[in-house]
Amino acid sequence: MAANYWASTQRLHWQFSRTELQDILQHLENEDPALTQQYPLLDRRLLSIFYNQQLVKLAKRMSIRQQALGTAQVYIRRFYTKVDVRNTNPYLILTTALYLACKMEESPQHIRVVVEHARSLWPDFIPSDVSRLGECEFYLISEMNSQLIIHHPYRTLQELQGRLDLVQDDVLVAWSIINDHYLTDLPLLFAPHVIAIAAIFLAMTLKQSSGGQQAAVNAAAYLTDSRQAIREGSSTVASNDNVPEKRIGSFVKWLAEGEVDLQAVADSMQEIISLYDVWDRYGEKTCKDQISHVVKARGLDK
Amino acid sequence: MAQPNHANYHHAYTTYDPDETPRPPRPKRFKDDKLNHIADQLVAPTDVFNQYAAPQHPQHQPPTQQHRYPTNIAYNKQQYQQQYQHQYQQQAHQFPFTSSQPSGTLPSPKAIMDKRHPSSFQQLEKLGEGTYATVFKGRNRQTGELVALKEIHLDSEEGTPSTAIREISLMKELKHENIVSLHDVIHTDNKLMLVFEYMDKDLKKFMDSRGSGGQLDYLTIKSFMYQLLHGIAFCHENRVLHRDLKPQNLLINNKGQLKLADFGLARAFGIPVNTFSNEVVTLWYRAPDVLLGSRTYNTSIDIWSAGCIMAEMYTGRPLFPGTTNEDQLQKIFRLMGTPSERSWPGITAFPEYKPGWHVYATQDLRMILPTVEPAALDLLGRCLQLRPEMRVGAQEATDHAWFRDLNVGRAQPQQQQQQQHTQAQQIGQGMVGSQGQMPMGQQQQGMGMTAGGYGMPAYQ
Repeated sequence: MAANYWASTQRLHWQFSRTELQDILQHLENEDPALTQQYPLLDRRLLSIFYNQQLVKLAKRMSIRQQALGTAQVYIRRFYTKVDVRNTNPYLILTTALYLACKMEESPQHIRVVVEHARSLWPDFIPSDVSRLGECEFYLISEMNSQLIIHHPYRTLQELQGRLDLVQDDVLVAWSIINDHYLTDLPLLFAPHVIAIAAIFLAMTLKQSSGGQQAAVNAAAYLTDSRQAIREGSSTVASNDNVPEKRIGSFVKWLAEGEVDLQAVADSMQEIISLYDVWDRYGEKTCKDQISHVVKARGLDK
Repeated sequence: MAQPNHANYHHAYTTYDPDETPRPPRPKRFKDDKLNHIADQLVAPTDVFNQYAAPQHPQHQPPTQQHRYPTNIAYNKQQYQQQYQHQYQQQAHQFPFTSSQPSGTLPSPKAIMDKRHPSSFQQLEKLGEGTYATVFKGRNRQTGELVALKEIHLDSEEGTPSTAIREISLMKELKHENIVSLHDVIHTDNKLMLVFEYMDKDLKKFMDSRGSGGQLDYLTIKSFMYQLLHGIAFCHENRVLHRDLKPQNLLINNKGQLKLADFGLARAFGIPVNTFSNEVVTLWYRAPDVLLGSRTYNTSIDIWSAGCIMAEMYTGRPLFPGTTNEDQLQKIFRLMGTPSERSWPGITAFPEYKPGWHVYATQDLRMILPTVEPAALDLLGRCLQLRPEMRVGAQEATDHAWFRDLNVGRAQPQQQQQQQHTQAQQIGQGMVGSQGQMPMGQQQQGMGMTAGGYGMPAYQ
């Protein structure tokens, strides 16, 4: 949210290619193969959904702003590129990330209040001693190298709203899609403006046809070719008389004329679509049981 | 940045014999003794970094692992465990990374690699005491380099102070020749230590030491103002408000460079938030809109402060030394004239607006600064505008005619860099729809301007 994204620590230190991220996570698991084997965990995407739902529960109770919630989600994701989940008590990490994010986003919450709320949600996992949260905060800051300023896609969305004359409906849907992108690895993979653009495009296309997801998939595929198409003078894009299609057309035209990395935009769209797919398979109980098992068995809740 | 490279860190680990360096007992920070013990172990090994900076064992193989990630993920934990296992056993503690851990909050061992130990620095005299920190002069034992050590005391009740968190995280982002640079952050048992580049004096002390009643010579003022505005412009461009500019927060070194410091109150102004606290900025340098209770202030509050500082450099005395909020406003109105709905539409809507203010006429700045050249007065007048929207922007101010004769040769390339920077920022905001990657050279130019002074008059 602050400072210049291009010179930011977010871009310079916390943005990875897919392979890099894969390697990092693999490396974490390989650090202690026995541990990894002893406590198998579900697909990271499912766990992400679980963390997110827990975090949202806590944030809702405390009426935390969406921006602070987003910041906390990125902190959690960053932290788990440095530390294996099996070495942590995720409930404490979630709580701490939210506490720290609130400080950073200038809506600080009292440590006692945070601990109280967290304990009422997860009495078995949050120590009553508030200094534990303080210690954990210290470690979180340390693991993230004190690089705590997060650039979010919301700002680009707000800017483009006026610039592109987006209709209110599209903006609202795009906003929710941005909320959802924190459940994926996207914040570690792409620039916030890329994600905002992907969200806008998805919002326009998802609504557009009853085919929903399929339409979006097609749109994503189409997008990667569109720059080429426009360069070749093809006028297929904005030819339709249908009004929403016209809006999409002019949006695509705007995109194609700019310098935004369309591959990255298409990639982001794909990732979000897959998220919704994975979400259908999500069951809270399995995640909860697995996490509880690791935390209890290893005494991480003490 | 004097960051040692990771290979050296690795080396420090692989050659470190823990028995060689006896460690004094530390004050206990954590309630859990095991944690205390672990904290001791975690911080201490970096002590030896200095000793082993150069390879001492010829048979040592440099690590083959490539550090491809800036986050420094590559770290051989097994090696670490072997090294330390016997030590933990000796002291009848379980090895923390393979057995149960308290609270699940243990830092992984690689965290150590980012930190250096406070004993890497020799602590010299105290430089100052702030609200949440004490600042000492220090010397890097290895390089002899002088540093400023800012010790932040941790409050067990509310964790790490948010002022400290804000300052550290902003300083990690803002790298500029007119902003004091943060070399390192050291976590120890009960405090956080920030290692800043050393600056000789703050502007207040600098003025006091000048002998002529705190007044500075014109060339120095011009150079300082240019650098001040340059630093402010960089902050603003990066969407950061300083909010607490005053002579005590401007640091001067003996090369005549001026740098902004103390970002504890600074805030990022990304998404418009209407709930800015109005309890910021020391009274004397506080903008009238803030004094009137505005909570939607913007970059222009820093410009007002810069104007006050400029006048103070000429006279040696604070321009508006108010004692209370109300007195501060009175002092400002006495010079700038009492504003009315006619001169400042909307003023009556401010929370602190009082209809019964004594009506002062606007004074000419020349009255209080009779010997100042017209171009300087013009700039000052543009900074000291009652209405925030009338104040000059920081970037625009650096282009003011008054600065034209100041090192034309140097100012030119900086302007270019500035432009590139602005462009990059727009791209970052998605303004100019642009490729996800910026050419490397461009981006580095934007950030890595080398400090070289501004051809300062030799005042030293």
